[in-house]
Amino acid sequence: MKRGLRILDLAGARAAILHRPHSTVAALTRQLTAIGLMTEAYWPELPPDFGADFLFFDVDMGFDGQFPWGDGASPMPLIGLIGSEAPGRIEWSLARGAHAQLLKPVGDSGVYSALLIARAGYDAQHRMAAEIDQLRDRLAGRETVVRAVMALVAQGLSDDEAFARLRRLATDRQESFEAAAERVLAKFPGPYRKGAGQ
Amino acid sequence: MKRTVEIGILQSRSGGYQAIARSSLLGAYAAIDQVNADPDISVRLVPVERDPEGKIDLYAPLCQDILTASRARHVLGCVTSWSRKEVLPVLERAGATLWYALPYEGFEASDHVVYMHACPNQHLLPLLDWAMPRFGRRVHLVASNYIWGWEINRLAREVITTAGGEITGERHLPLGEIDVTAMVDEIAALRPDCVLNSLIGPSQYAFVAEMAARLPGLPILSCNLTESELPLMGAASEGLVAAGPYFRDPGQTDVFGNSHEAAAHAAILEMARLFHRHPGGEDLPLAELLARDAGAGPIDSATHHTTLPVLIAEVRDGAFRVLHRRPAVMGDPYLTRPDRLPEGRSSLRVIR
Repeated sequence: MKRGLRILDLAGARAAILHRPHSTVAALTRQLTAIGLMTEAYWPELPPDFGADFLFFDVDMGFDGQFPWGDGASPMPLIGLIGSEAPGRIEWSLARGAHAQLLKPVGDSGVYSALLIARAGYDAQHRMAAEIDQLRDRLAGRETVVRAVMALVAQGLSDDEAFARLRRLATDRQESFEAAAERVLAKFPGPYRKGAGQ
Repeated sequence: MKRTVEIGILQSRSGGYQAIARSSLLGAYAAIDQVNADPDISVRLVPVERDPEGKIDLYAPLCQDILTASRARHVLGCVTSWSRKEVLPVLERAGATLWYALPYEGFEASDHVVYMHACPNQHLLPLLDWAMPRFGRRVHLVASNYIWGWEINRLAREVITTAGGEITGERHLPLGEIDVTAMVDEIAALRPDCVLNSLIGPSQYAFVAEMAARLPGLPILSCNLTESELPLMGAASEGLVAAGPYFRDPGQTDVFGNSHEAAAHAAILEMARLFHRHPGGEDLPLAELLARDAGAGPIDSATHHTTLPVLIAEVRDGAFRVLHRRPAVMGDPYLTRPDRLPEGRSSLRVIR
C-alpha cells in the first residue's frame, strides 16, 4: 500500500533520549534541536510520568526493565542507538521493538531519516495490529453467526432469508454482521445459544 | 594594520550552471574588495579559489585541496545540493565550514554549513500561499529529475493537498531534455490554474518557450528563477512569477544583479564581521564561532540558516517587478516551526 510521508506534522514533537550523559547525547540533541524537536535525556530510568513522541534508546548499555511497557508495545516509535554491532545487542534491540536505528557516533546526518522511518514503521505496525484484531474478532464470531442463522431458521426462515435478515439488521444499525448475530441470539436464546445443550 | 585571513572559494567558472556560479563569484569578490578597502574592519580576506568546472567529482578533492594548501577553514561555494553533499565529509573531517549561498530544497542542518539563501519556508510556501488565492488551487507540477525537483514537488503536493487544493499532474524530465511537447500537451488538456516549474537548465528554457507559444497567460511559478537566467529565455520569460529573497530593482543602478550575487556578498560580509569581532575565529569550527558571537549576527545557531526577506516578483519587460513583499523570516529547513511559516493564512498551517 502506497502511503505518502507526512512531514508538516512534526512541528512541536518531543523526543526523549535514554542514554547515559555522553557526546552521543550532545550530538543527537544538537541534530534534534536543528530539526525542531524538543529534547530531553534520561538515564538509566524513564520518569514515572514519561511521555514523548519519539524515544531514542541506547542499545549498547540498555537493559531489560528500562521500559515501563511490554516488549513491542511502546506507545511511541523507538529508535535504537547502536555502537557495537554485535548480534546479541541487535537481537536485544529488536526484541524491545525498535522501529529504526541510528549508528554511533551520531553525526550531522541520519537523525531525520530515522525519525521518519521509525514513525512510518510504528504507524504501519499499529494499522496492521488493528486489522488483525478486527479479523480475529470476525473469526471468533463465525460460530455466533452460524448459531444465529440456525435460530432464525428455527423461527421458520429459509437459510437465505436468515442471512438476508442478518445483513439487513447489521446495515440498519451500522454494525458488524457478527454484532447483529449476537443480538439475534439474545432475542432467541433457545437451544442454539453458545454453550447451551451440552 | 589588517590581519590576513585566507578563505576558500569553490565555484565553477564553466559547466552547466556557470551563469549562476559566476553571479555568486561576482558577489563574493565585490564583498572581498569592500572588506579589504574598509579601514574599520580588522581583517584582509585572501581568496583561495578552486574551479570544479561543474564536474561533480571535482568538488570533494578541490575542497580538500583548499583546506590542505591554505589555512582557510571557511569556504564559500557549491551551486547544487549534490555538490554540497559531496563536500560535507571533507568539511567535517577538517572542522571547516561551507558557506552555501544558493536556494535549496531544505531538510538539512549540517553543523558545518551556513545556509545563506532561501529554503522552502522562504520560497515555496510563501509562493503557494500567495498564488493559490489568486490563481486557484488546481496546480500542475513539472520538474527535472533531480533532488531539487523531486523535493519541491513532494512538498508542494503535501502543502497544496493539505490546504484543500488539487494536483492535476506531476511530470519530470531527465536533466538536459528539451522535448517538452508531451508535457505541454498534458497541461493544455488538463487546464490547471497554475504550473509550478522546478525544471532546471535547458529543459526549463524549452518549457517556458513552448508554454509562451501555446498557453500564454497560464501562470508559471518558480522558486529558483533569478535574473541570471532571463537572458537565456528572451521574450518567453514575460509573466513568469518567482519567489526569492532579492530581486534587482530595474530603476536602480549599482545594485546586485540577482539574489545569487546578493547572497554570496552577504556571506562574505558576515564572515568578515565574525572574524573582525572574534580574532582567531577564522580557525574555529562554526558552532564554536557562533557560540562566541552569541546571536549577534543573522545566523540561527540551531539550524545555521538565516533570516531573509521574502519577495514575489513577476517578469515584466525583461526584468523582475516585485508584486508582494513579506517581512523577513528565519529559515526553517524541516518546516517544524509554525512561527516561520507564512503568516495570515491558516490553510498552510497544519493542526496536529
